[in-house]
Amino acid sequence: MVVLDPADNVGVALADIDAGGRARALDGRVVDALEPIPQGHKIALVDIGAGAEIVRFGMPVGVARAAIAKGRLAHVHNIASRVLNNDEDNYE
Amino acid sequence: MSEPDANAPLGMRGYLRSDGRKGVRNYLIVAYLVECAHHVARKIAQPFEDEGVQLIGFPGCYPSAYAERVMTAVATHPNVGAALLISLGCEEFHRAKLKAAIEASGRPVALLTIQQAGGTAGTIAKGRAWIEAQLPMLSAAPTAPLTLSDLVVGVKCGGSDGLSGVTINPAVGRAVDALIDAGATVMFEETCELIGCETHMAARAKTPELAEALREAVMKADVYYRDLGHGSFGGGNIKYGLSTLEEKSLGAYAKSGSRPIVGILKPGILPPKPGLYLMDTVNDGPVRYGIPNINDTQTIVEMVASGCQLIVFTTGAGSVVGQAVAPVIKGVSNSRVYQRMEGDMDVNGGTIADGVESVEDVGRRVVAAIVSAASGVPTKSEALGHQEFVLSYKTYEPLGPACLPG
Repeated sequence: MVVLDPADNVGVALADIDAGGRARALDGRVVDALEPIPQGHKIALVDIGAGAEIVRFGMPVGVARAAIAKGRLAHVHNIASRVLNNDEDNYE
Repeated sequence: MSEPDANAPLGMRGYLRSDGRKGVRNYLIVAYLVECAHHVARKIAQPFEDEGVQLIGFPGCYPSAYAERVMTAVATHPNVGAALLISLGCEEFHRAKLKAAIEASGRPVALLTIQQAGGTAGTIAKGRAWIEAQLPMLSAAPTAPLTLSDLVVGVKCGGSDGLSGVTINPAVGRAVDALIDAGATVMFEETCELIGCETHMAARAKTPELAEALREAVMKADVYYRDLGHGSFGGGNIKYGLSTLEEKSLGAYAKSGSRPIVGILKPGILPPKPGLYLMDTVNDGPVRYGIPNINDTQTIVEMVASGCQLIVFTTGAGSVVGQAVAPVIKGVSNSRVYQRMEGDMDVNGGTIADGVESVEDVGRRVVAAIVSAASGVPTKSEALGHQEFVLSYKTYEPLGPACLPG
């Protein structure tokens, strides 16, 4: 797992992480995955409240649609875009 | 190991053109001036597709100042040594004007009008005969040494994934920094994929006026796509881990590296001096003609029209596109896709995620791949015969005064 900025509340899986697997970042942060996190997908590093900003690389990349528990997959089902509808139903 | 050696000496040679620019290829282009001439143009080019004959064209029958500007710029591009224009005869493209511009550049050019040249079969025969006569001269053309400062490189991504912004795009950013430091010209694009990055980008502008113009270019894209009801974010991005357009933007922006931004370009406008430029890829004015860039190839064509001799294209899902006039160097964000599609990928950035290489290491390999391509070694997509080219209708106002500060 990689954490791109100290302010980030999500990490990016550098390889597939199994449910129950332990993800480690270079900055020492550790999080246990509550579900499978495919490569390139994001994992919540802390408990993220509904409506909170998702921060990756120190920049806001979306808003939590609902609370996201530490270790959960953070993706379109629980992250909304501020600029463009990202409902999965909109896309193939 | 099929990737180029970063430590190999620079052996770049190019073709010196009458306007002082240098090409890294000496292609003969066959250009159809309306879709009705596409088949004839393709048949003319087909026997010579391994001999540097490339097919381009504009499908529309109605006139378009934008399309004519791009076609003229591509037909007089430094990688082009000669041009054969194929017209049906009744389309509204200003073919005599295009031919005159190519002639004025000192390049051999011929115009065949299907309605006058014996229809399909007659035009194909005449076109092939003209190419046969040009090929010996093209292959014997003299070359001159090239340095990195002679290069104009465009960076582009397509089919991005969650690792693009972690691995290959930052590596391309390092390569862009190295090119700029060596005196090269680089452009990046897709203002609709910079939404969310405008503040950071504006802080890199050479002048405060340019900073404002950069911000406005991204805002223009935001408004245009809102009005259109569609943005540059799709199911492919979601499948590979990107959750929002802002997240995708952040990854795309990493390709631009960290050097100052010296100007904004519009398609067909040449960068006046070396440095890093943003290409404004979205229409001016209200929504007209639909989606500004219907696919990755259209923005690549626009960067080629502004003089890029080479394109660096990064992908996560695994794009295979090339380009008809500028060779495309393909970089991939993850080793899984690299292993599946090694035949299409020039640089694997997945080694960063694998913990095998650093971003700097891959950045050096991107520069090495650029040097290799500029030395005449075909890129993967080029060797596979890829010649993608797309041009559709758009409208642009002239560049504002703040866009190219002196």
